[in-house]
Amino acid sequence: MSHRKKAMLKIVILGDSGVGKTSLIRQYVDNKFSTQYKATIGADFFNRELQVDDHTVKMQLWDTAGQERFQSLGVAFYRGADCCVLVYDVNNPKSFEALKAWRDEFLVQANPRDPETFPFVVVGNKVDIEDNNKRVSTKRAQAFCRANGNMPYFETSAKEAIGVEAAFEVIARNALSQAESEDYNEDFTDAINIHLDSDKSPCMC
Amino acid sequence: MTSKAKLLYSKSKVYVHPTPNSKDNIPGFVGLVRPSHAEDSGILVAWVPEDDLKVNHDYDQYVKVDLDENLVLKEALVSTPPPSSFSSYGFSVPIRDIYSIYYKRPSLGWWWGSITINTRGSETLPAIFFHDSESPSTKNEQKKRNKDFDPFSNDGNLYWGGDTFLLYLEKYAKLVNPSGSNNIFLVNPTQEDLDLYSNSNNKVAAKDEEDPFVKVFNDVKWKVLSKLASVTKFSRNTAQQLFDSTPPKVKTLLNIPEVQKVNDDFGSAKVYLAKWALGIAEEAQRSKRKSVYNEGYRKFLKGELGDFELLSIDFESERRNPIGIKEWNAFFDPIGHLVLTVEEVKERIFHGGLQPEVRPQAWLFLLEIIPWVSTDKERKKILNQKRHEYNDLKKLWWDDLENKNHDEFWLDQKSRIEKDVHRTDRSVSFFAEAEVSHPDPNSRFAETGTNAHLEQMKDMLITYNEYNKNLGYIQGMSDLLSPLYVVFQDDAVAFAAFCKFMDRMERNFIRDQSGMRDQLLTIDHLVQLMLPQLYEHLAQADSTHFFFFFRMILVWFKREFAWDDVLTLWEVLWTNYYSSDFVLFVALAILDKHKDIIMTHLNQFDEILKYMNELSMTMDLKDILERAEIQFLNFRKAIDMVDRKRQDMSSSTFLASGSTDYSLTDTEGSKAAKQKLTDHELPNITRDLRNLLSKEIVIVKEVERDPDVGGG
Repeated sequence: MSHRKKAMLKIVILGDSGVGKTSLIRQYVDNKFSTQYKATIGADFFNRELQVDDHTVKMQLWDTAGQERFQSLGVAFYRGADCCVLVYDVNNPKSFEALKAWRDEFLVQANPRDPETFPFVVVGNKVDIEDNNKRVSTKRAQAFCRANGNMPYFETSAKEAIGVEAAFEVIARNALSQAESEDYNEDFTDAINIHLDSDKSPCMC
Repeated sequence: MTSKAKLLYSKSKVYVHPTPNSKDNIPGFVGLVRPSHAEDSGILVAWVPEDDLKVNHDYDQYVKVDLDENLVLKEALVSTPPPSSFSSYGFSVPIRDIYSIYYKRPSLGWWWGSITINTRGSETLPAIFFHDSESPSTKNEQKKRNKDFDPFSNDGNLYWGGDTFLLYLEKYAKLVNPSGSNNIFLVNPTQEDLDLYSNSNNKVAAKDEEDPFVKVFNDVKWKVLSKLASVTKFSRNTAQQLFDSTPPKVKTLLNIPEVQKVNDDFGSAKVYLAKWALGIAEEAQRSKRKSVYNEGYRKFLKGELGDFELLSIDFESERRNPIGIKEWNAFFDPIGHLVLTVEEVKERIFHGGLQPEVRPQAWLFLLEIIPWVSTDKERKKILNQKRHEYNDLKKLWWDDLENKNHDEFWLDQKSRIEKDVHRTDRSVSFFAEAEVSHPDPNSRFAETGTNAHLEQMKDMLITYNEYNKNLGYIQGMSDLLSPLYVVFQDDAVAFAAFCKFMDRMERNFIRDQSGMRDQLLTIDHLVQLMLPQLYEHLAQADSTHFFFFFRMILVWFKREFAWDDVLTLWEVLWTNYYSSDFVLFVALAILDKHKDIIMTHLNQFDEILKYMNELSMTMDLKDILERAEIQFLNFRKAIDMVDRKRQDMSSSTFLASGSTDYSLTDTEGSKAAKQKLTDHELPNITRDLRNLLSKEIVIVKEVERDPDVGGG
């Protein structure tokens, strides 16, 4: 049990609608970009394998709807996440300001064992667009990330495939170490878990 | 040459129907064959497929004997037909081994008369159907009788192919037609057989007081059904495993009038046996697991005489051609009054949908922009009024842009709308081009360009955002609007239609998501009732939140079907023909169709979600709609049966003994709740389920928006 490796790393991508969550995932998984990805409704996921040091990691990347109200039914896919990616549009300050709310929402819904150490990665997308007036500065973003538990920060362009691979490599590493620490913890709590699991039965009433 | 047998009688074009599909019917001959040196009781009753006869060159002999009405042919030698055939449904059985013959004349709605042979070994052989209209000998005989003005056979019924079979069989065996039945013939019955028959008759008369008998009868009945099921490709072995009760004597059973009635009801539905047997298989499988709810349901299914109705899927659903403009115009008189009833028109649309050129007119009615009962003149007036209304509403924000541009909520919503319109249905030609430069040079779409239709879409959605202030614009609405706009090609009319459509769709979008939650919960109840085995599987896969239906329900399958299919689906749903929530039966139909794959291969929520998401653009709408209709009809019947059963229970003092108190949750049960009932054994028909029978649309309005809350 103690050396069990989780077969699949589960990564949840959150952020306001239109910041490019679907585009980031599709660029990373298929090396494709389209301006016409429809607004995500419900949820979907995509798989990709990645070589991290000497072993292959399988990632399940969960794409979600950006409109806030659609999150309330999202518990189903938040659970068991190994890493959460918070995405904003560098040209849209509102989407940046929403990051904290997304983070809190995730922690409430996913209810990870140790919220303090749960890995988040912040991605500022759409750096290809030149709009100096509105742009959230890199400094500001870095300061925010430092102040909120030293979250790694990346700037990307899903359209031009800039920074996407680098961001996901760090996401994968963080997810992997999170999964390993969960494994470690489970060794001590297995007895309790098994008991709880056997009690769980679907409600028929 | 192997030993030859003598063919005494033959009838052509007698079929076995192995599946519900008529193209699977197998033509053959029924014959009486005397093996060499055999006495009368050793004469074989045989059914041989035409193909087998062609292989061993007996075909011509069978044809000759069939047409030999005056029995001039003295010697017609054929090979002895084998007792059973691995390659086909062929069989033969000596008269001495036949216990009874069940005999079903052709009737209205069931064109082929049939006979079914029950052996002394408690075996039911495949029913064979006499296709009279194809059999030359039968046609000759019918012609002759018509000429003589006596189309009836000796027993007073219309002559059919099976008549001569009995006539010939009677030459070699004693056929006793027990009193009270003209469908069953006992073949060379012993005194014991006859006694058994009359005894069982008495028992039936006393059945109301005799619970044990009812139990035996029910067991027996299921046995028979499993036998009948074996006619189909559903293998007998499987069927028998399902019914592990000790096999009772089928011959006892066949004498019971109740069972004959079963056979009667059932004969006409034989073609559905394959489906039916699968239904039983599910029930039986499921019943092995322990769950209070399901155990009750199983008992209900097994314990009631009426359970046949529930399980026999004798509902049919067939899609019709879409309504063309000619047919549509014929629905109205010269001044535009509907000449059919609204229900008739809706029925037609429900089953066929509309051709594109009919939609701009018909959708106005379906979305209740104009009343069904009105004249052309009145309709024109209403449409003009709608145009004014839209312009006025649009003007409200258009003339107030100064203020609006400082309103954060407004700006937020506007940019959300813009983002979404630019990614909605861009493959549809209306929205595909982006040849016009954007009116706002600061817009993030200034570079990519836009077109007049995209701009109209934005205006309509912004207007709706103002019109329904509490709800505002929510993602998914652009998907709902675009088909309306493309069909009407008129922004004002499309807006009016959208407002009407949104009346019923508002519950999908409200902030607390309770409307979506309720619908997913109703699906949960529906699947428990209609697809119980699948439900257990989904429960084990932590998937009974049915989240994988979220997208499908939210925008009514807009993302799951191709454009044209979406238009058809929506007009079908707008009819509210069976239920205003028929959309949930569409969901149920999709699960039904894929349940085997899900249960065999998908064991986790993520796998199921992926599978369901990937059904998008692969599903056959026609098939799904047919399944959905059948699911609905079965559902309605199930509710009806549970209600009737519950009523029976509450009026019966006999059944009340040994029961426990049980409070009912639904209104019908409330007055019965004071009595002692055993209906905890019945499936619980929740209010959610009962509401599915309603044709009234469900309207849930968003609560007032807190000014501090954004449009998320």
